[in-house]
Amino acid sequence: MEYHTFSELRESYAFILPLMIFILIFVLLPVLGTFINSFFRDISFMQRKFILFENYKQLFNDSDFYGAIRFTILFILVSVPLEIILGLIFALILNEAVPFRGFLRACVLLPWAIPSAISGRLWELIFNYNYGLANFLCIKLGISTGPINWLGSSLGAFLGIVIADVWKTTPFVTIILLAGLSSIPIELYSQAKVDGSNFLQRFHKVTMPLLKPVLIVALLFRTIDALRIFDLVYVLTHGGPGGATTSLSLYSYRYFLAGDFGYGSAISVVLFVIAFILSVVYIKLGRFAELGT
Amino acid sequence: MIEEKFKSVIIWIGCVLLVVFCLTPFLYMILISLSSSPDFLTKLGQIEFSFKNYYSVLSSKSLHFIDYLRNSLIISAASAFFCVIIAGLGAYSITRLALPGKMLILFFVLAVSMFPQISLVGYLFKFMSSIGWINTYFALIFPYVAWILPLSLWILVSYFAQIPRDLDKAALIDGCTGWQILRKVIFPVAAPGIFSVSLLSFIFAFNEFMFALMLTIDYHSRTIPVGIALFQGLHGEIPWGNIMAGSAIAVIPVVLLTIIFQRYIIQGLTRGSIKG
Repeated sequence: MEYHTFSELRESYAFILPLMIFILIFVLLPVLGTFINSFFRDISFMQRKFILFENYKQLFNDSDFYGAIRFTILFILVSVPLEIILGLIFALILNEAVPFRGFLRACVLLPWAIPSAISGRLWELIFNYNYGLANFLCIKLGISTGPINWLGSSLGAFLGIVIADVWKTTPFVTIILLAGLSSIPIELYSQAKVDGSNFLQRFHKVTMPLLKPVLIVALLFRTIDALRIFDLVYVLTHGGPGGATTSLSLYSYRYFLAGDFGYGSAISVVLFVIAFILSVVYIKLGRFAELGT
Repeated sequence: MIEEKFKSVIIWIGCVLLVVFCLTPFLYMILISLSSSPDFLTKLGQIEFSFKNYYSVLSSKSLHFIDYLRNSLIISAASAFFCVIIAGLGAYSITRLALPGKMLILFFVLAVSMFPQISLVGYLFKFMSSIGWINTYFALIFPYVAWILPLSLWILVSYFAQIPRDLDKAALIDGCTGWQILRKVIFPVAAPGIFSVSLLSFIFAFNEFMFALMLTIDYHSRTIPVGIALFQGLHGEIPWGNIMAGSAIAVIPVVLLTIIFQRYIIQGLTRGSIKG
């Protein structure tokens, strides 16, 4: 047990203090405020009134709220596995001794690096019904006989969001998995080669088990991030058509925008609780992964 | 031998697909921004090249494109600067000083970074309104710093922890204070980490959308992602050429940073998330 003097302790607090103050004022206090607000009727230009669980009772009977939950969950279930699989393939490629490695890595990073609001706009044009690139390619490659109504149909808009998100986020998964791959000792592969196992066997016996902790981290991280999707749906589909692609974040935002802070807060509290549970799992597993390696 | 050949062919195909997947939308953006009308694909690929989109985006005062870009650059740079300093102080305390409950603080901060932004923004709007900061740079810089601090702290802790303790012990014997050790020993030795954190903080602040959408009103503080997201035509038809020209200019800073410093970005990202 180390013994610390009072002045040593005081110095350590002084150095961490600015960080704590920032997080307290601009993250914790707002979250607490949102919690408290969710128990109030709090609409602009109206008397603020404590109503306890009224907002939550209303949520319980709100079919649009269930619609937002349904879209958010479907979006996670479809986009995250796609990102992990594609990211794993990209990472396996980049981990080989490929030419122009630096160029390839920079290419992979670019979709991640630009603002999602801007890539949302770009995909809006790509999915344009009359002259967008998506319909041009679909017809040229024989995928469809006529133009597809991407953003005007529920399924098309959903797929559009998924494609745009996969494009934007696969790079991140690739980078994380690449770091995991490059930490696997080469000797293990050469040993497996000497034993006469082929590429697939080596992937199954060496790569996958050693990559598993990193895969879990990437999976959970992406799930938490996909849960709060906002930018893309706001820009690409505005939550439409007919609310088909309204995520929980966007649904809550609409109430804030309309000046209904009580109900908007209640929606975001639900989202917060789900995200919080997932992040506790994430941290527990992350710790586990660290101890395991 | 056959397996090796087969593998290298697969990898070559994979590389080509990877480049096509990542770059096609960018090329499309640039083509549209340089063509006089956005529907060239339907005209059998006949493109009429012109710079008029760039000209109109940059010269039209009413679009405020330059204002948005300037706001974004100032806000992102300021956020990155404060983030590095504050996270640096915190990481020093965690890796070097007698701070109790270090792991607890690290995991608490990690949990904070997973909070959905929407669960902050309603209250932040009211808070910023009450102190009169709506539509100012402060309304974005402060929440951005707080928002990006967790990741910055994790990255810097992983860099600082690798610096041999003998270095600062020597400085301590020479009579340096904590602040001097941090400034003269730790920061210079951990320069690549400091640089990674600055880059990532800048990119995150530059790309942020929800706070900027909610906490700004007009060109006095509105950032470029919001400007481009809300860019609508005056007469119903969306001016795609202008939007793509604006987007192409807007992404230049982050694209250049990414291409030139990809190594630092990758290092920062992996240290920030894998260790978690």
